[in-house]
Amino acid sequence: MTYIYAERVKSMENSAIRDLLKVAVQPNIISFAGGLPAPELFPLADIRESYDRVLGAGDPSVLQYGTTEGFLPLREEISAQMRTKGVKAEADNIFLTNGSQQGLDLIAKLLLNPGDEVLLQNPSYLGAIQTFRSYQANFRVIPSAGEGIDLIALESSIKEHRPKLIYLAPTYQNPTGTTLTIEERQTVARIASLYGVPVIEDDPYSDLRYDGPASPPIKSFAAEDAVIYLGTFSKTLAPGLRLGWIVADRTLIAKLSVAKQGTDLHTSTLLQRATHYYLTHFNTLEHIEKMRQTYKLRRDLMLKELQKSFSTQVKWTEPSGGMFIWLTLPESYDTLKLLPRVEAANVSYVPGAHFFAHEGIHSNMRLNFSNPTPLQIKQGIKLLAEILAVN
Amino acid sequence: MQLHLDRSLKTPLYLQIRNQIRQLILTNELPPGFRLPPERKLAASLGVNRTTIVNAYHELEADDLIRPHVGKGTIVTPPLCSEHSSVDGLAIDGNSELLRLPVQPMAWQNFYTSQSERMYNPVLASILDEIGEEDQISFALGSPAGEFYPLEKFRQISQEVMQPGNWQAFEYGPTIGHYPLRKYLADWLGHRGIQTQAQNIMILSGSQQGLDLLAKVFLEPGDFVVMEEPSFIGAIGVFKAAGARILTVPMDREGLRTDLLEQILSRHRPKFIYTLPTFQNPSGTKMSLVRRHELLKLAYLYHVPIMEDDPYSELYYENQPSPSLKSLDEHGHVIYLGTFSKMLFPGLRLGWCVAPSPVLEQLTLAKQHVDLHTSTTAQWIMTEFCHQGLLDEHLPLVRNQYRRQRDAMVSALTEFAPQGLSWTVPEGGYYLWCELPPGMKAATLLTKAAEKKVTFVPGNAFYVNSRGNDRIRLCFSRHSETTIREGILRLSEAILEMLNQPHSGGTASRPPFNETLV
Repeated sequence: MTYIYAERVKSMENSAIRDLLKVAVQPNIISFAGGLPAPELFPLADIRESYDRVLGAGDPSVLQYGTTEGFLPLREEISAQMRTKGVKAEADNIFLTNGSQQGLDLIAKLLLNPGDEVLLQNPSYLGAIQTFRSYQANFRVIPSAGEGIDLIALESSIKEHRPKLIYLAPTYQNPTGTTLTIEERQTVARIASLYGVPVIEDDPYSDLRYDGPASPPIKSFAAEDAVIYLGTFSKTLAPGLRLGWIVADRTLIAKLSVAKQGTDLHTSTLLQRATHYYLTHFNTLEHIEKMRQTYKLRRDLMLKELQKSFSTQVKWTEPSGGMFIWLTLPESYDTLKLLPRVEAANVSYVPGAHFFAHEGIHSNMRLNFSNPTPLQIKQGIKLLAEILAVN
Repeated sequence: MQLHLDRSLKTPLYLQIRNQIRQLILTNELPPGFRLPPERKLAASLGVNRTTIVNAYHELEADDLIRPHVGKGTIVTPPLCSEHSSVDGLAIDGNSELLRLPVQPMAWQNFYTSQSERMYNPVLASILDEIGEEDQISFALGSPAGEFYPLEKFRQISQEVMQPGNWQAFEYGPTIGHYPLRKYLADWLGHRGIQTQAQNIMILSGSQQGLDLLAKVFLEPGDFVVMEEPSFIGAIGVFKAAGARILTVPMDREGLRTDLLEQILSRHRPKFIYTLPTFQNPSGTKMSLVRRHELLKLAYLYHVPIMEDDPYSELYYENQPSPSLKSLDEHGHVIYLGTFSKMLFPGLRLGWCVAPSPVLEQLTLAKQHVDLHTSTTAQWIMTEFCHQGLLDEHLPLVRNQYRRQRDAMVSALTEFAPQGLSWTVPEGGYYLWCELPPGMKAATLLTKAAEKKVTFVPGNAFYVNSRGNDRIRLCFSRHSETTIREGILRLSEAILEMLNQPHSGGTASRPPFNETLV
């Protein structure tokens, strides 16, 4: 039969994320495409023991329905972690989600009417662009200034366009790896409060810091409730668990809770219990430190290989944390069109065009350095340079 | 400061100490400024090495929870956030004046979407909230009985799945779901008459997510949706939130009244018909085979898709139930939702959807924006559980048990129920659907029942319009036979008291559960 879909279905793209997840499972390919942590670093034994303990305690409530906001002791633990980052938060400011992607979806569901404007960095995280688009939002780009954003332009854009939301990933941003300065963070927090426009601060990478100073979240500077913070265990624990959280004021948490009830009732009880056990019984800091050391070496290696293999016409970012390097080729290059050729040589990347809310820029690519092994980085960058042959 | 060390745990002692002190600090039992005992003294009192305490304190210091002060010892620090919580007077060119203005609290109500205004579903919230209330006998929450959860087997399987080196169980996965689980379900459904393949099945984070995705993909505000009345609360909530106009069809003993449905379909063009044909929630009704065929015929004739929600069909206590609509569907009109929640346990949040390929494609796309994919780890564990035949092993056990519990509830009602109360005896599922004595209101009874520590869901929750006030839903799956008997006794007393003082109920103060039902 012919199905008649809702209007919004037209704005759901056949997305690059899905293709990325597919590429990631193809064997033999050197993938710089995924946003994946290195699986050999997952704290598998610790997670395993956590499941063992939680299921072995003879308490059936670990497999029972739970409250929509999340398992209270886990909310307490996360709020404590947020406080060490300088964010004022109590357990009732924390809301558990099926990964931070669900956080984006729920917030969009609550706040975006068709035609509403969202202000975001250009480029921005693909998953966020697509979720906002599925709610039929329109985008306004925050012009950049150097590494960061142009704050004066931000303010005038807010005054002129009255956006519904500002979406920012201020720390080791996906896809560029860039980071906002403390002054920029303070100002963003201030502008948001002043004009009453909520900021979504998406922060999956801040624990993966390799050098440079730690940057407190924008939320830590927000005197009021203007910043909605999104966190995730996908990068520091394992992405396949699908567990993230939102930090927001209580009014919004109550609304989120209503929205999530209709969406999936609540996030898996067992997953929350096991994660809580893990966080309170193992040395999570040591684990993060181990990841940092490994990824730092990989980042350094990739930067070195890029230096070796590419001419001065090619530019790239030098991130001090996170998982990505953003490569800019001369304007005549179209990384979307080049991808099949590169993949034929068993290397892959994400074409930069996917990360722009508006069409038009084709000469960038996102390279992931956390997932490939050092040997793959060496071989892959060399191959990439050969195929692209930028002179 | 009381600490308890467990030497049988693999967790090192210093981490146990650190974790417990951390907890005490975070819960404010050790307030800022509190002086921790000196290392040597704490070591002696716990019977551990001094180094152990040094290490524990070191960790706490790294977390900024405590700080050593010369001459004062080790002190609990105040929360960090106070140090840079306000950044007044920060200047951007030309705007410094503006920035000094006082900041108004965020007026969230100005930001919410029209959809969020329609989302409120207080009953579901209060049903979930009541989990964990101890002395209450709840016939409200539609949950399986915890004492039959296969905890130990599930533990063993989780350990097998998490074998060293099996990173795959923790990686991102495809949005549509873990292939081996989809394959298993395709075969499993095949044994139940549904001819399908893995590529037509997607895994959901619970079947509630299926409803949400279907609404997202199909419903515009103002669209018509057809439902049985009464119907599942969670579905009513989602369709209302999507702004749908709900057309209800009454039921009789054979299920949805297809004669009335035809009249509706001839007047409106609904986006779909939502039905829960087997052991319906809340009425327990099983749609007859004849009606199933009639329903499909109407769907074909008027070209309307059917959403078949099927959480209970495996929980039959008499004969095998009629075949599902999906298994009878010859023209790809039925979208089918299934779940592990009622057969096994709900806390994993795993369900599935069977649909024609183009629909599944759209649902997958929508799900990708919603949560990328369902937990890989949960899917792997469940796959192994199923592969070892444990699902099929579990079903006869719970069928037996829930049959006994149903019978216990029915015989307790027969024994204790005051005149005027009547109830259905379902052949499967979780619920007894009761009609109250004439004039008695479910909401008022709930207040009285709560005093006697027994709860249920008032019938109006299952109606789109303000009806059903003379009905209540009792779930028999969750409690043991003894507890059920006790609960029915309490409920009967509550009803009896109301019958004896017929005018007191209307103005009595109501528990919060109730007010929200208006």
